[in-house]
Amino acid sequence: VTWKINVFGVRHLSPTGAWHLCRFLERLRPKVVLIEGLADADAVIPHLTRKGTKPPVAILAYTDSMPVRTLVYPLARYSPEYQAMKWADDRNARVEFIDLPSDIFLGFQDLEVERLERRAKAEEREGEAPAEPSEPATPLPQELWRPERAQSIYEQIALRCGEPDYDTYWERRFEHNLADESYRLASHELGKALRDEEDPPLWRAENLVREAYMRRRIAEVIASGVKPEQIVAVVGAFHAPVLSGDHPAMTDDELASLKRRPSKLTLMPYSYFKLSSQSGYGAGNRAPAYFELLWETLEAGDLHELPGRYLSSVARYLREKGTHRSTAEVIEGVRLVRTLSALHDGLAPTLHDLRDAAVTLIGHGELSTVSEALSQVDVGTAIGELPKGVSQTSIQSDFERELNRLKLEKYRTTVKQELTLDLRENRRAKSEEAAFLDLDRSSFFHRLRVLEIGFATAAKSSQQSATWAEKWFLQWSPESEISLVEAVLLGETVELATGFKFKTLLEACKTIAEAADLVNDACQCGLMKSMDLARRRLQELAASSTDLKAIAPAAFQLSQVVRYGDVRKFDPTPLLPLMEELFVQGSLALHGAANCDNASAQALLVSMDEMNRVSLEHADRVEEQLWIDRLQMLADADDRNPLLSGYACATLLERGLIANEALAREVSRRLSPGIPADLGAGWFEGLAKRNRYSLLARQPLWQELAAYIRSLDDEQFKRALVFLRRAFGSFSPQEKRHICENLGEIWGAGADAASEALEQPLTEKEEETLKELNEFDFEDL
Amino acid sequence: MAKKKTDEADLPAPTNGTAQGMLRAPAETLYAEELEHLIKEDKHHKPPGWKMSARAVLTYVCGGKAGTKEITPKYIGYQRLVEIAISTLVTDRALLLLGEPGTAKSWLSEHLAAAVNGDSTKVVQGTAGTTEEHIRYTWNYAMLIAHGPSNDALIKSPIFRAMESGTVARFEEITRCAAEVQDALISLLSEKRISVPELLTEIPAAKGFSVIATANTRDRGVNDMSAALKRRFNMIVLPTPSTLETEVSIVRKRVRELAVHLELRATVPTDDAIEQVVTIFRELRSGQTLDGKNKIKVPSGVLSTAEAISVLAGGMALAGNFGTGEVTHHDLAAGMQGAVVKDEEKDKLVWQEYLSNVLKKRGAEWRPLFTACSEHNS
Repeated sequence: VTWKINVFGVRHLSPTGAWHLCRFLERLRPKVVLIEGLADADAVIPHLTRKGTKPPVAILAYTDSMPVRTLVYPLARYSPEYQAMKWADDRNARVEFIDLPSDIFLGFQDLEVERLERRAKAEEREGEAPAEPSEPATPLPQELWRPERAQSIYEQIALRCGEPDYDTYWERRFEHNLADESYRLASHELGKALRDEEDPPLWRAENLVREAYMRRRIAEVIASGVKPEQIVAVVGAFHAPVLSGDHPAMTDDELASLKRRPSKLTLMPYSYFKLSSQSGYGAGNRAPAYFELLWETLEAGDLHELPGRYLSSVARYLREKGTHRSTAEVIEGVRLVRTLSALHDGLAPTLHDLRDAAVTLIGHGELSTVSEALSQVDVGTAIGELPKGVSQTSIQSDFERELNRLKLEKYRTTVKQELTLDLRENRRAKSEEAAFLDLDRSSFFHRLRVLEIGFATAAKSSQQSATWAEKWFLQWSPESEISLVEAVLLGETVELATGFKFKTLLEACKTIAEAADLVNDACQCGLMKSMDLARRRLQELAASSTDLKAIAPAAFQLSQVVRYGDVRKFDPTPLLPLMEELFVQGSLALHGAANCDNASAQALLVSMDEMNRVSLEHADRVEEQLWIDRLQMLADADDRNPLLSGYACATLLERGLIANEALAREVSRRLSPGIPADLGAGWFEGLAKRNRYSLLARQPLWQELAAYIRSLDDEQFKRALVFLRRAFGSFSPQEKRHICENLGEIWGAGADAASEALEQPLTEKEEETLKELNEFDFEDL
Repeated sequence: MAKKKTDEADLPAPTNGTAQGMLRAPAETLYAEELEHLIKEDKHHKPPGWKMSARAVLTYVCGGKAGTKEITPKYIGYQRLVEIAISTLVTDRALLLLGEPGTAKSWLSEHLAAAVNGDSTKVVQGTAGTTEEHIRYTWNYAMLIAHGPSNDALIKSPIFRAMESGTVARFEEITRCAAEVQDALISLLSEKRISVPELLTEIPAAKGFSVIATANTRDRGVNDMSAALKRRFNMIVLPTPSTLETEVSIVRKRVRELAVHLELRATVPTDDAIEQVVTIFRELRSGQTLDGKNKIKVPSGVLSTAEAISVLAGGMALAGNFGTGEVTHHDLAAGMQGAVVKDEEKDKLVWQEYLSNVLKKRGAEWRPLFTACSEHNS
């Protein structure tokens, strides 16, 4: 039996589509409205139209078992589907969803992931087999749920019509035409044209299955006694041409043969930010706030006001931030967009035109001036709301599943409990899962920490040095539950949410130290992908810096992550090039940084030590020679901070790169009478900072020191004494004695006599002299 | 205009006798035939005072077809910017083209004026010595003293003439002029009329009048434009060539031409060598590697396409005069050292960092250039 119903083809999230659809429904007054949406989600429709629900919201379907697959179906106020539901609610019409149920969609995802894994394995075997260009090799599971996103037939059509992208193509041709029926008929034709395009077979196949199912559902509705002309179906433009009885509907056998994954459904609040960052799906949502503005002007009947409102919003935002932009510039901007749109035969300016005009007029030619304002006006910050109790989100059930998997349920109480983890493999455990239980727990806790869900707090481990031990305090509270629900805005599972959180943190991250911390955090969370993003961010920040105090700790932190990563079953390979780069940068920055005062020099000592440790621990990876050359340069330099020069010398000494003779020469040069005592002593202090034992054993050094002291006149001696005292201040009494014995030997008093002299208590006169020394006036200091 | 460049265009042979003997003919003479075809085939609305429609101007600048005639592209790469520029002129706003040295600002301005009016010669060439008279008008003083102020004694500036005739005037290097001189433009552009108090009169601009100004972004802060003047312009920033391929082809073409003009007597560097030099320039200019994976520090000097050309030409001169006539990696490294390291202290470190962090890891083809550059930088 053939049938023909009213089909309204839309683009999801198209304001003008919603506007036309409302008028179309009002004219036709159908009894039943069928919508392209998850067939098993009918139950949530009343919640969507109910008072207290504020879009953007999303229908969320998720598997209740591992591996988690999710599917999000976002709705904004200007979604045609949402407006259709509202209309039906007002007019008491029946609303039903007719797309495949969620368990079949999730089953598709499983198949797709399996297929990709198979291909990845095959590629591994064959070496580098050419990847199919249309499909990314390792897409995230959540990106798979609607294969439309990666497809390019839309882009091809846009290019053919001389538009920069499909969004602009669509907006120019569909969003501004308010003539009756124009939208429905045009989108019907577009759908037909799209179906004639070449597209990847898999994508086409999935669509054919969905359409067959939709026809089956429509046929069911007709069979239930509704006349076809009393039905309106709201579907994507692509499906519109084939929803008639001329094409076969899905049979029972076919339906039974589809793979299913048991699933759960819920509503969740959504945000415009999330909507824009998911752009691609159903498209048109790159600028949700702009489309909302478009919807408002449509409803108010003054679409021609849109350019003025858009551009003045941009100007207002800039003014609020302290950059003055005049109304005249907004007026000129409106004139410019009109001409730009006329160049392309448009009815009204598109977002693309508006953005260009904003850059030209309000940004004075520079995108960077207005980019923040534009993202504010395009994307906005709106967050949806749901009535209490409606949402049972996937992240909550994911959390429970994780607790179960990691055997943590008993900790889910309001009583604070302590848990000590040993991250090493438990060799007595039977399964791999059990062997790494503590490691998985640790990753889980770290993820909660990043998400700021207060269930687990890290305690300072008693064994600071043991990288395999961690101590946590666990305590459940209602606040944790709230922050958990809120986290669903970031992602549908704990893992996805953490990944998203890392992304936002990285965008906000401004300093090298923050980025290095994030690398470390990502490693602790066991998120390789986030770690890679963090690594890139760190590289970006580090590249433009010459600050050794920032670079050295970052290099050191990376080297630690690389070194101890294996405890966390973590592959450090991607970090190695960055560590090498940071090391080169740090080495090159050393000489410049060493031109500083004593206060900063103290901080640089730490940096130098960190760099040196990196070079020792990873001598095979980093350019050790460069570091040594730079140290040598600093050790030889007379115009840098003497403390650091001395320290560089000590570092080289420790590596056995300075011969006794050269050291003696250097000591003599540094301490020669012409050089101010504070410089010489400062250098000596630096030299004495490291590796005292080998210093003590070097006789030539002490001979030079003795000769130096002998060469000083009284005034110089007093001065030098103060500095030398500081230089030796941190030596232990035993070391000091050793030095005195050395010097006593050289001065001919003999080691024993010297040590005997030291044993004597100080006489009054001697104390007096020392006191005077404390009050020594340095004049120039 | 002597330094103005033709990097992004293919110059056809002069099409008629008027260009002969001239070192460089104006655009409307060189492309007279294309302009004629465009006007003949133009079916769209012409803005008042324009010789052709906005769409035809776009075709003239970015290339396309006029009937059966193929129109050569004059400005390659950023069609959207040209659209914005043309739309600006349609709305009677003044247009300001900004950009680094060597981004075809004057080139674009000349061609826009040529297409809109068939006349690109109403030019004020801005310098530190430009005075207000160059923008408004001055007098033939002999006549002024003999007969007093009269129309005959009035010497009109290019902008004055453009206002009278309703055409586009060009203002080159506007930020090189002193701020007082720039100010003379403010009321001209907002009121669109010029007063001549000596003759007790005021001349209104005819429809179609506009100004296209150009300015270097590197000059910002030297004679920065006042906010009042900026407000009268729509500003467009012209970027450097968008892809490696475009830039390589521009460089290759110019190096070949230079080799002939300057009689360098050396073989032109291989395509690989050109690509390597351009790659290094692009990376240092943009502050990141071409694959976008690594950020790098940017040296202090301008690294325009023109500098890349001079490095290669310089290499040829070295090879021709002191070498075998084959450009070696050392010849290129010497030039590059000079181009990149402008500030001894800082740039040297930037260059070394780039060499060890980027070039060194690029594999065998880059090894000789890396070695040569490292030696020159040590």
